[in-house]
Amino acid sequence: MTTPAVELVGIGKRFGAVVANDGVDLTLRRGSVHAVMGENGAGKSTLMSILYGLYRPDTGHILRDGRRVEFASPLDAIAERLGMVHQHFKLFDSMTVAENVVLGQEPRRSGRLRRSLLDRAAASARVTELAGRYGLAVDPGARVGTLPAGARQRVEILKALHREAEVLILDEPTAVLTPGEVRSLFAVIRRAADDGATVVLVTHKIHEVLDVSDEVTVLRDGVVTAHVRTADTTAAALVTAMTGRDVVPAQNTGRGEPGEPVLEVEHLAVSDGERTLVGDVSLTVRRGEIVGIAGVSGNGQHDLVATLLGTHRAAAGSIRIAGVDVTDASVRERRALGVAAIPEDRRGEGTAITMSVAENLALGHHRTPPIGASSGRRRGLLSGRAMRARAQELIADFDIRTASEQLPVGSLSGGNAQKLVVARELAHEAPLLIAEQPTQGVDIGAIEAIHRRLIGYRDDGHGVLLVSHEISELLALADRILVMLGGRVVAEFARSDATPENIGAAMSGADQAVRA
Amino acid sequence: MSTVDAAPKPPLFRAAVRHPAVVPVGAVLVAVLIGAVIMVASGIDPVRAYTGVVEGALATDNLDYTLSVFGLILGMAIVFAIPLRMGEYNLGGNGQLVLGGITAAAVGLYAPLPCALLVVAAVLAGAVAAGLFAAISAPLSERLGIPVIISTLLLSPIAVAFGSYLVRFRMTDTGSGVSQTPRLPDAAHLGTLGDLRYANVGLVLVLLVLVVFWLVDSRTAVGFELRTLGANRRFGAYGGVHIGRLNLGAMAAAGAVAGVVGAVMVLSPPYRFIDGALTAPGYTFAGVAAALLAGGRPLLLPLTVAVFTILQVGGAGMERDADVPRQLSEVLQAVVIIVLALRTVVEARRARTGRATT
Repeated sequence: MTTPAVELVGIGKRFGAVVANDGVDLTLRRGSVHAVMGENGAGKSTLMSILYGLYRPDTGHILRDGRRVEFASPLDAIAERLGMVHQHFKLFDSMTVAENVVLGQEPRRSGRLRRSLLDRAAASARVTELAGRYGLAVDPGARVGTLPAGARQRVEILKALHREAEVLILDEPTAVLTPGEVRSLFAVIRRAADDGATVVLVTHKIHEVLDVSDEVTVLRDGVVTAHVRTADTTAAALVTAMTGRDVVPAQNTGRGEPGEPVLEVEHLAVSDGERTLVGDVSLTVRRGEIVGIAGVSGNGQHDLVATLLGTHRAAAGSIRIAGVDVTDASVRERRALGVAAIPEDRRGEGTAITMSVAENLALGHHRTPPIGASSGRRRGLLSGRAMRARAQELIADFDIRTASEQLPVGSLSGGNAQKLVVARELAHEAPLLIAEQPTQGVDIGAIEAIHRRLIGYRDDGHGVLLVSHEISELLALADRILVMLGGRVVAEFARSDATPENIGAAMSGADQAVRA
Repeated sequence: MSTVDAAPKPPLFRAAVRHPAVVPVGAVLVAVLIGAVIMVASGIDPVRAYTGVVEGALATDNLDYTLSVFGLILGMAIVFAIPLRMGEYNLGGNGQLVLGGITAAAVGLYAPLPCALLVVAAVLAGAVAAGLFAAISAPLSERLGIPVIISTLLLSPIAVAFGSYLVRFRMTDTGSGVSQTPRLPDAAHLGTLGDLRYANVGLVLVLLVLVVFWLVDSRTAVGFELRTLGANRRFGAYGGVHIGRLNLGAMAAAGAVAGVVGAVMVLSPPYRFIDGALTAPGYTFAGVAAALLAGGRPLLLPLTVAVFTILQVGGAGMERDADVPRQLSEVLQAVVIIVLALRTVVEARRARTGRATT
């Protein structure tokens, strides 16, 4: 057996209290396409950043052709013939394709005085030659700013090939592409691999992995949960490896009839200006029920809930909360009408880590008694005493482990920070709670506590919309489960009909045999 | 991602390290040390130089003047600090200052008001004009996506030039060859404090503004929302904070404070708006540096402003007593800012190598 092109051995990386990679092994064979899969936050990006020299690992090492190498920066990785195409392109819009490709390693003109000048003809010829060899259609003279996303990505690939990259890392390469562009990208990837290159494809889209890769490594919570040959696996098995957490026992026992609707969504569409993120979604959540939304991350769930809360705008359709049309209302108006939300991104959106536990627990409650006042003489004022008292109550009630309510949230563990977010949002007693990945990145004890709270909240007659990538969590909590794929609701299961298999099949699109 | 508990440290130690005063004090100490190294390298006795700075600023004879400068720099520090609380950078202090000053001069010269009202009207008019002007940056940021730091910086010279135009062509004191307005009538002079020659009611006014800023910052819903946006803008948006309105309010308030400072400068001796006289002493950017050093925290502002005031005023004393060029005090101010900037770089690098910064 030949030496692998690259081996990552026992890679570990921590960011503060967060373990991003824990003993990860990854073996990349020459001439193969290796898919690295995982949900958001599973540790894919950290692993690739370590491979490309952007981060240094805390433990473990990298072998290149069997030699031990240390990458202090991407320059070292490039010198070892590694190339990376980032999700967000790093190109100069005002320069031509050829100029972008050769930038950093330019062909120079001959002659003593003209040596410092770029040889445009040689640059252009080099791009044409590379493009022809790998079947990458680009015009070397075009300005990059005028090109569509697919063509820019080809420029990025050419850049790596120009530097004679033998190992090509593609980070979520299809996120910005149309289906046609995806097909031609895959053709290029195949041709490069057949030519002897090693391609790493970072993605969370299952059908891409099945279409183009030779081997798959799946990460979850920073550890490898599967490493298989693509020919030996199935979509359902990959979904399980990515999402399956088997610790959650079914807890949802008995419930009354659902009451009046608290959320009514009709034909909702969301777009980022170029692509449709959510298309024609209709759903209803009633008092006394938990409606689950399943789906592999990146299929529009986050855009849907952000639009329901009001941090994103709807492109079409309508949203009613507690019977009132809020399609154009602000976040504050919607919250006042009765919606609370546990966001997916705890550090980025759900907390301010430099502010105290008490202040984090107060946001959204700071204009109503007892902390604030909405009318009267104390209107607009804030009571620090009431803020601390409320914080102490919630800390005790939700068992948030912190030495004091005055400490910054950044000093809490992930599970305790998440309990803080849950406590703050449940304390609104809002008729509708949107819970997005409410147990992501927290330990088992906190998961059980949060699950009990969500069920209790429903039993008190509130409606809950639960977005989760974990099938087991949805099966444990939800009364109904909708499945999103490509921004649309593609399936709905009553709790009694739902199984990991039929939900997994719907999540992967396998039941529709649709391959974009 | 899974989590583990961070390595335990004594809580008292951690609380002490996290105290908001640690960074400014540390930055000043480091700057003083670096300044000493520079002086030794150029053959100057740092002890004598620093003694000269402190004596120059705090000697009994100079204290009056130092206090008045302290008030003006403190005012401009508040101008920068208010938007800084929500994470916005107001670099338009000069324009807002000039607009406030020229408006106060116009009211003082032309408004037919009785004595007590005239000075109040002049200050208020300066505040309103500069506040409205500064507020332009909020919709530019929210609707057109032009960052406040850019729009304030670019709008500022327009207001400065407008002030110059008025004083040269519309409000000129025809009797003198200098670009200055006529002397304001006695009714428009700010009250004095006892027998002090420089520090006057303007200092009291700025201190009042500081108290209001502190109360709003710590005791009101709006102040809480400002701080939340400054800590994490997305968290604020998700919590229902109206970012646009708050930005408008913060910029208007900042501009109004700059207008008050401009009015105070014009309504103090020599009781004229003189072209360039408001911006030349560099109070605006001394205020920016002091506010950055304090992280915008109202209660730390007087301390950091005192440091920059002593450096600024004491530079002259240092030149006289220690024969050190006063430009060295500018070097020291710059070193403080570089030390602050280095901290950001160090934190970013720590984050990159994965060591926790908190």
